[in-house]
Amino acid sequence: MTLLRHLAGGMGVAVGLTLMAGSALAQDCTTKIGTVLPTSVDWGRPIAETAQFAVDQVNAAGGAGGCKIEMVLRDTQVDPKVGVDAAKALVDLEGVKVLLGAVSSGVSMPILTSVTVPGGVMQMSCCSSSTAFTNLAEEGKTEGLWFRTFATTAVQSAMGAKIAQDKGYGSVAILYKNDDWGQDMARLIAADFEAVGVAVTASVAINDGQPSYRAEVTEALGTQPDALYLALYPAEGTAAVREWISLGGTQKMILANSLKSDEFRENVGLQYLGETVGTDTASPRSESADAFRAAYVERFESEPNGPGLGNSYDATMIALLAMEAAGKDASGADIAAAVRKVTDPNGTAITADTAGFTTAKEVLAGGGTVMYQGATGNVRFDANGDVSAPAVIWSFTESGTEEVEYLSLDEVDSFIASLN
Amino acid sequence: MIGTISYLVFFATTASILAIAVLGLNLQWGNTGLFNGGVVAFFGAGAYGTLILGGTPQDGHLGGYGLFYPLALLGGMAAAGVMAWIVGLLTLRLRHDYLAIATFGVAVAFENLMRNAEWLAGGAKGVRGFERPLRDALGDGFLYNIAFFITVLIILITVYLFLERLVASPFGRLLRAIREDEEAASSLGKSPSRIRLTAFITGSVILGLAGGLYGTFYAFVSPQDVLPTLTFQIWAMLIVGGAGNNRGAIFGAFLIWGAWTASGWALSRFAPVEAQLYTGSMQFVLIGVVIVGMLMWRPQGLLPERLVVSQRGSKE
Repeated sequence: MTLLRHLAGGMGVAVGLTLMAGSALAQDCTTKIGTVLPTSVDWGRPIAETAQFAVDQVNAAGGAGGCKIEMVLRDTQVDPKVGVDAAKALVDLEGVKVLLGAVSSGVSMPILTSVTVPGGVMQMSCCSSSTAFTNLAEEGKTEGLWFRTFATTAVQSAMGAKIAQDKGYGSVAILYKNDDWGQDMARLIAADFEAVGVAVTASVAINDGQPSYRAEVTEALGTQPDALYLALYPAEGTAAVREWISLGGTQKMILANSLKSDEFRENVGLQYLGETVGTDTASPRSESADAFRAAYVERFESEPNGPGLGNSYDATMIALLAMEAAGKDASGADIAAAVRKVTDPNGTAITADTAGFTTAKEVLAGGGTVMYQGATGNVRFDANGDVSAPAVIWSFTESGTEEVEYLSLDEVDSFIASLN
Repeated sequence: MIGTISYLVFFATTASILAIAVLGLNLQWGNTGLFNGGVVAFFGAGAYGTLILGGTPQDGHLGGYGLFYPLALLGGMAAAGVMAWIVGLLTLRLRHDYLAIATFGVAVAFENLMRNAEWLAGGAKGVRGFERPLRDALGDGFLYNIAFFITVLIILITVYLFLERLVASPFGRLLRAIREDEEAASSLGKSPSRIRLTAFITGSVILGLAGGLYGTFYAFVSPQDVLPTLTFQIWAMLIVGGAGNNRGAIFGAFLIWGAWTASGWALSRFAPVEAQLYTGSMQFVLIGVVIVGMLMWRPQGLLPERLVVSQRGSKE
């Protein structure tokens, strides 16, 4: 399955190359953008493929800032040293003004503090979730160069609490991935459950790569919760849920968006996921999101179901739109400042595809602003470079996932406000 | 052009920091024969110690003492030293492979402690908010990196000269005696366990120094920096460079780190686009091949240990 997807991705890249070759005739200059992603990790590669996909679409529209865009991709190996070195090489040797990445907060953070901020390069991450970035931005240390399209964990956890409240669960046990994202999630969701009057019976950390999670699962099971909340990734999520079900745990589960994956559904088995619902930020409510979905399916022959794909696409698109808005040879700070112009709620709405980018070019050339409607909805950054987002509650089906309930940005924000 | 120089300075800084760590391991393994499988724990103790002592106050965890930088760095080294002392007392009676397993366990425990003890060092989020020393005076750009590189280079040379003298001294001879035959050394009235502990702590303090500089350079440290990968990388540097030879240790650090980064760069630049997404995996294969090849054809390393006859019998 994964292999097929990769093969399809490889073919997609080849198709994209042909497209690029076509448009290269129109321009004689090339602007490089840097991408640092964990491509040596199974879920990292589709994120990189999606970024390249966005670049290809922009090149089909004639590139950004008057030049064809070349994405230089480097692997982080999820090793901070390697990621930082790759980022530095991209900034110094390739001269990039825009850096996309990384995924892990533990890699994105040292890149931010030691490469992009000192170098005046805009950094936009698809997937880093740590609350530490918000704190850093509040202290003014990101200098407005940092953005991420991954909605803060607050949206996810609030939606998890809403599900528990709506379904009338009295108590919930939490299993969370033992990393920065998981620890943030566990802390936030516990507070949100409490706010809606749901008792948290246990909160158990799940470490990566253990052969068995019996001890952890038994600990959670022993507290006899009505439901189980899972902030895990597919690999250890599958292992933990299998043990949970086989030990007689309830099928009433609430999942974070990281488990919205075909791999998880297939490996656990749909028959055990009947009462399971998940949350996700970003809902395809605009034409552009449908366009993204359709284009993605056409290109990769699968639904964009992996973690971070829509976010990666939006990060790339917004960065390129900002490059277009900032004009040729703009500095990283100029491009970062131009992000506002392309995510303006009062601007002209544009779709997330080649046609949308072409429209954006015309509007921006005329001195206007645009509102980018992307794969994760209307992306809008706050002063810290964070996004809030509409949310969707979903469940698994035979072929993927289906939407159970949609909450607009305003509904999400008011629900979050009601928790405090 | 300036970009290339700027990158090379950055690269050389990282490589020099790693070289200091390899020198620390060389004292332990190359000279004393102590198989430290937990390099990263002592490296991490130095990094965490320095950033906690020298950083700005942070909500929710220890730290923010804002100590004068050299003191913070010394504190980081001391943290590594104290940890080495405790670990050494407990494990140094163990022989080679058992010591390796025990110290490896210490490193895993260290990483897990840092990941879970949020009150101590921010948990998985790591320690941030560290102000790099003299940043106000030197700015944030190229000049700073040059100055930092020169500082690291001076420290590297100092550590090298210190170790060269140490190894050439009677104490160094004693280390080798213990490495080669502990019983023979004790039959001469020496106390191997004491000497082993001294060497272990000294090496670990040097590892802590490297960790402290590493944390300073990135102004950030998180549990992701102290994964076992780093232990293997530093070991690979020592094995390729030549265990027992300080110059080999430094050479190995530059060579392996150079190969590591250059292969990533070369693959991203020259590999066909279809293969771009697989460069990460290919890089692991390339590095693995280099290390295996090295172990098969030149196990003593590129710069092997020089055998020294410190006192000739005829002169007695």
